[in-house]
Amino acid sequence: MTTSDDAVAILSVEAPPAARRRPGWRLALPVGLLAVPMLAFLTYFFFYPALGLLLSSIQTQDSRGIIGRPFTLAHYARLINVELYARVLWTTLRISIITSALATVLAYPVALVMVKSRPMVTRIITLIVIAPLIVSVVVRGYGWQLVLQNGPKGMLNWILMTLHVVDAPISVLYTEVAVVIGSLHVFFPMMVLPLASALGKIDPNLEDAARMLGAPWWRVFLRVTLPLSMPGFVAGFTLVFSLTAGSFVIPAILGGASAVMLGNLIEQQIFVVYDWPFGAAIAVVLVGLVLAVNGVSMWLLEGRRLRRPD
Amino acid sequence: MDERFSGFGAFILYTITAGMMLFILAPLLLVMAVSVSDSYFVTFPPQGFTLKWYAKVLQDRDFLEAMRLSILLALGTTAGSLLFGVPAAFALVRGRFFGLAAIKGFLLSPLIFPALVTGLALLQVLTKLGSQDARLNLLIGHVVVTSPYVIRTVVTSLQLVDENLEDAARTLGANRLTTFWRVTLPQIASGVAAGGLFAFMVSFDNYPVTMWLANSEYSPVPLVLMRQLVNVFDPSVPAMSTIIILMAMVGVLLLEKLVGLRRALAA
Repeated sequence: MTTSDDAVAILSVEAPPAARRRPGWRLALPVGLLAVPMLAFLTYFFFYPALGLLLSSIQTQDSRGIIGRPFTLAHYARLINVELYARVLWTTLRISIITSALATVLAYPVALVMVKSRPMVTRIITLIVIAPLIVSVVVRGYGWQLVLQNGPKGMLNWILMTLHVVDAPISVLYTEVAVVIGSLHVFFPMMVLPLASALGKIDPNLEDAARMLGAPWWRVFLRVTLPLSMPGFVAGFTLVFSLTAGSFVIPAILGGASAVMLGNLIEQQIFVVYDWPFGAAIAVVLVGLVLAVNGVSMWLLEGRRLRRPD
Repeated sequence: MDERFSGFGAFILYTITAGMMLFILAPLLLVMAVSVSDSYFVTFPPQGFTLKWYAKVLQDRDFLEAMRLSILLALGTTAGSLLFGVPAAFALVRGRFFGLAAIKGFLLSPLIFPALVTGLALLQVLTKLGSQDARLNLLIGHVVVTSPYVIRTVVTSLQLVDENLEDAARTLGANRLTTFWRVTLPQIASGVAAGGLFAFMVSFDNYPVTMWLANSEYSPVPLVLMRQLVNVFDPSVPAMSTIIILMAMVGVLLLEKLVGLRRALAA
């Protein structure tokens, strides 16, 4: 068992392996009752509010700010039909997909090295990957603001200009690129950890067998390692996509006006425009997006549809 | 390095890995370097050395107030999520009742729900209820988002408890409470501690729920920092950020130490 696996036990959404169940001694009261306080709490402060938000999204707000009848789907239509808002939806999708895809490509080598290296290397990589996870997102966004700072005094521009890669400072801050970079930094661990966990579970004998039968390293990777690590990939992609799509801080700090995402639009509708039904409708769309991706991922993982047919 | 990787493939793997380590550390190291640099405007490379921004931050009433609020809130959240989460984890592992899987899914669902929406929905309900104490509202919101973490870690460690030891204690005459206290709890202690520590850290850094439930009187650290960062340029921001980074490092080392007690957590 490596440190990375322990971390996954805490961080990943994937359930731990089912323990052996055997009939134990019976308690006087059913032990299931111990879940009641938590259930009641979450029902009242999570489930019920979520339904309330769903209801508001199809209601109308009058001039005094009171939300009620008539029911309408106008808020959803507005999100899709008004170009300003539709663009935010597309920006969110684009940034989330690009971030998850980049995270996959870059996390794979890191996870491989993490799993297959000597314990000391594994430990250091695990610490570096996990440590930033616990640093506030605001601080990390600020760090990237400093790195990407426009003008010759920013770190990236200073490096690029000192190395004569560019002659004049480039402008990355307050673009979608900056938001992708920031999101990648924030959610990278969410991709590495499930991947490392999946890679750690692969029987090394399978790879050895392929090698002994004469397969070159890239073939071993493509035909054995990659297919067997697909569950980790699916879990990681889902996590990174969901978290990026629902982010607020990173686009607010790094995106400025040119990369507004759904989270920022919701905040603006509630706190600036005070349009609760429209804010609620955007929130419902965001939840729908995230749940859809999670649903597909669960379907892929549980149905064992990831096994190669041949 | 390792016989599994060789030639060009190994070169690519190690290059990308080293690059990503640099990518992860660069912004954090830059913040720390800037926090001790002696110029009002942030420039690269950082100039001079001073601790005056730290002196300024440690006298900043808003920041200290926010720090106090955040720590108290995180402590309360830890207590709350353990209080609700640990018994729930017991029910999930030891209980046999109809709909167990569905209930487990429900209890863990705040994890996949966008936290931003969780906070907004809660704000709507709390406003309708007339609950105006931001501290209480924040506590409720934070317990909603942190309790699934506690449930998951405690479930993992409970599944590894050897029930034979409990049976033995019972056979030898210990009552249920004693059995729990002397036999079960020591076996799940590190799982409970790791879950609690995680709840503390998630609460301390939480932004997407906090942004809805805080007000101008009660603003936790992430909100105060964001306000300083977006509205006014203030050279004490890097110093505040560094303090937060260092606190997080302590947290990570603690967690690593707890998680390092692997036997109890993940076998």
